[in-house]
Amino acid sequence: MSGIPMEGDVPATIAPSAPVPPSAPSPGRKEEFDWVGSFAPSIPIGDDAGRPWRLELPSERWKEVTLTLDRALHHRLASFWAEHWTDGASRLHTLWMGDASCRGIHLITVLPAGNAGVPSLLPEIPAALYFEREMREMYGVEFLGAADRRPLLLHYQHSGPPMRPGTSPPRDARAPFAFPITEGEGIYEIPVGPVHAGIIEPGHFRFQVVGEQILNLEVRLGYTHKATEKRFEGRSPSLGVLLAESVSGDSSVAGAVAFLEAVEQALGIEVSRSAQLSRGLLLELERMAFLLGDVAGIALDVGYAAGAAQANFLRERSYEGLEMVGGSRLGRGTLAPGGLARPLASDMGTPLAETLALVARGNEELLEHLLSRPSVVDRLRGTGEVRTDVARALALVGPAARASGLDRDVRRDRPYGAYREVAVRVAGERAGDVEARLKVKVAEIAEACRLASEFQRAGALDSAKAPPPLPARSAGDGLGVVEAPRGEFLIWVSVGEEGTLRRVHVRDPSYLNWPAIEYAVKGNIVPDFPLCNKSLNLSYSGFDR
Amino acid sequence: MSTHDPGSRPDAPAGGPFGTLVTGTYPEGPADPVGRGARTPLHQSPRCEGTGECALACPTQAIEVTGRGKGATFQLDYGRCVFCRACVDVCPTGALIASADFELSVRRREDLVVRHGAGRAPPTYPVDQRKEAETQARIQRLFGGSLAIREVDAGSCNGCEVEVSALTWPRFDSERLGIHFVASPRHADALLVTGPVNVNMRLALEKTFRATPSPKIVLAVGACGISGGPFRDSAEVRNGVAPTLPVTVFIPGCPPRPEALLYGIWLALGKLEQRVVQGELPTAASGTPKR
Repeated sequence: MSGIPMEGDVPATIAPSAPVPPSAPSPGRKEEFDWVGSFAPSIPIGDDAGRPWRLELPSERWKEVTLTLDRALHHRLASFWAEHWTDGASRLHTLWMGDASCRGIHLITVLPAGNAGVPSLLPEIPAALYFEREMREMYGVEFLGAADRRPLLLHYQHSGPPMRPGTSPPRDARAPFAFPITEGEGIYEIPVGPVHAGIIEPGHFRFQVVGEQILNLEVRLGYTHKATEKRFEGRSPSLGVLLAESVSGDSSVAGAVAFLEAVEQALGIEVSRSAQLSRGLLLELERMAFLLGDVAGIALDVGYAAGAAQANFLRERSYEGLEMVGGSRLGRGTLAPGGLARPLASDMGTPLAETLALVARGNEELLEHLLSRPSVVDRLRGTGEVRTDVARALALVGPAARASGLDRDVRRDRPYGAYREVAVRVAGERAGDVEARLKVKVAEIAEACRLASEFQRAGALDSAKAPPPLPARSAGDGLGVVEAPRGEFLIWVSVGEEGTLRRVHVRDPSYLNWPAIEYAVKGNIVPDFPLCNKSLNLSYSGFDR
Repeated sequence: MSTHDPGSRPDAPAGGPFGTLVTGTYPEGPADPVGRGARTPLHQSPRCEGTGECALACPTQAIEVTGRGKGATFQLDYGRCVFCRACVDVCPTGALIASADFELSVRRREDLVVRHGAGRAPPTYPVDQRKEAETQARIQRLFGGSLAIREVDAGSCNGCEVEVSALTWPRFDSERLGIHFVASPRHADALLVTGPVNVNMRLALEKTFRATPSPKIVLAVGACGISGGPFRDSAEVRNGVAPTLPVTVFIPGCPPRPEALLYGIWLALGKLEQRVVQGELPTAASGTPKR
């Protein structure tokens, strides 16, 4: 792990116009441009700086173009969503993200009312599975040839797809759901949940086990589904912030920033530099607190209580830091369209700097303690392995991806807000096991402390309350992509002419990362499941919404 | 091992758990004021001019203003409030201020509603107060020494889980008070329920309640657990715990801070008095609101 930066290690201030470090023109960008250009004769190309290339396709070419894209560019599927139009037509959106040099590609196709559906992207694009299952139940979009047609989020039968206007509430009849069956001598099942043993969220795990070894795990989610996306509809952007914070409460700030980035892009709202620095500071404080919780959980699950206590002590100090500057321990109610809901506490500079130094030092000590104990390392090394090829196929994001050899971090690849001014040192490991994930997380806590200090020194606490936002247009759509503690948090919004939210699509990083746990546990013993689980730390609410 | 703690808490010894003690004394002692945000809206009638802007700014419709001008009726439900301070920010007359008060838990849901102005209705308590006192005495006799809690997330956003977990961290360490979190409802005296009780979790919540031995306490936690919070009246939620289970104590917050949870648990055990009555705090503007 890299050393903890000490006082004087970083520049005392960042020049207001500090340019983005020039990145060498990479082959990725040219390939992407050429690929998009190859469709130019027939397909309208949206060229709006800062946004992904936008292509509209006839539905007949949907799968063919998607597969060409997948093969030609090695972009990953970042999100896949639908929206309904009043005339009964649906629009399907897929979003493909490449490396740091690429803009990404946003494919749109319109399905007229009464359409038969589109071909499923499976089995070629494994990451599309959950998206397709959700769109079938929520929007009634049919994916032809799909093998897994089970519900995803809905446990009860509905009279129709709930995201369609005018659909009645769920009925009392439970929707059927079949788990895969594994048979053979000595094979038994362990059903776990939805109510789990710890202070954690609900979900159901179905293990098939022989002896102590896990043969297969299927996760059933949806237990915390509360129709959050529908709740956004018809609200003003200001009233939507709370819902974005409530996608996954432990990433409240990241949810709010992703939502606000999307709204601000949609309406052309400018955000002051100092407000961006404040958002950056809150994001990094949240990341510190969150990842320290993961470290604590891993320590606790190997029975190393002293390490867990130390991590939780530092985590508490991080939440106190958030409260010190923003007034809320989870950073809630602090942000608003155009900037901040209220200024941060400019008089808290000294205690904040002290907190950051304490956490940085304590975090470094913590890693030494954890990795110098053979009884700890023995439980972590080789446990819960997610190979690089699996991680790539599942389009994983965040620390889970970075521990499996995938070098992706939104803060560096698609810098937003204050991250345009700093060079983020992205952590990385290759082994893909619990130890690798722990090392990545500890490195990211250190980096979060460093970035928070930089943002503070650049004036994050000096921001003023945002003036009422001045939208450049009254309607439009926008995309917010933020590196949350769990990885890429993505929100797409469409604002209608009356200035209210018409459709909001939320993709929590856990939506992509949940399948990783089913791979991570294969061949592991049941007592190591908590370690696999803690090291991936997936959000149930973020998935279910 | 470093034992230097540059923290701003003057009374706290230096260092982390590897070094020294960091655990606070609340609720036996006073709550630690360090960095405590002032997020609880307090309404001061004389200054209210009934503009209704607070009601429009509230993301959960916790505020209702009926009529306009000085004679308007103002109603605020702390059970729906998410403590975002939007109402305080927009109030043009300074009638709404933010306080650092967090001891807001109540036994009766009605006590979370403050109503000022014309037509102030006396609260109706459907509960037999003598019977309630007897129940309290029984709860204290049975659980006063220690309390085993089973936490149930009934559709929460996991914000409440952060703060409930915080009770087990060195800083708050609820075990010092005999409060521990258990893995099975069979071992529990109390259910601590977060989330709006969504359709998909209702059955599991009911089964968990049935699996908990009687007598038992139910704590409804957070704006969601009390009223459904931001998800109230959605087709997928049942507007909090009370429509499904008998609630002993309601703990407001979004999420309630760890000290607020400790207060609510001790209130349920009868170790502390309820401070909020009919939505009014006994010492308005107590504490020194910072922001």
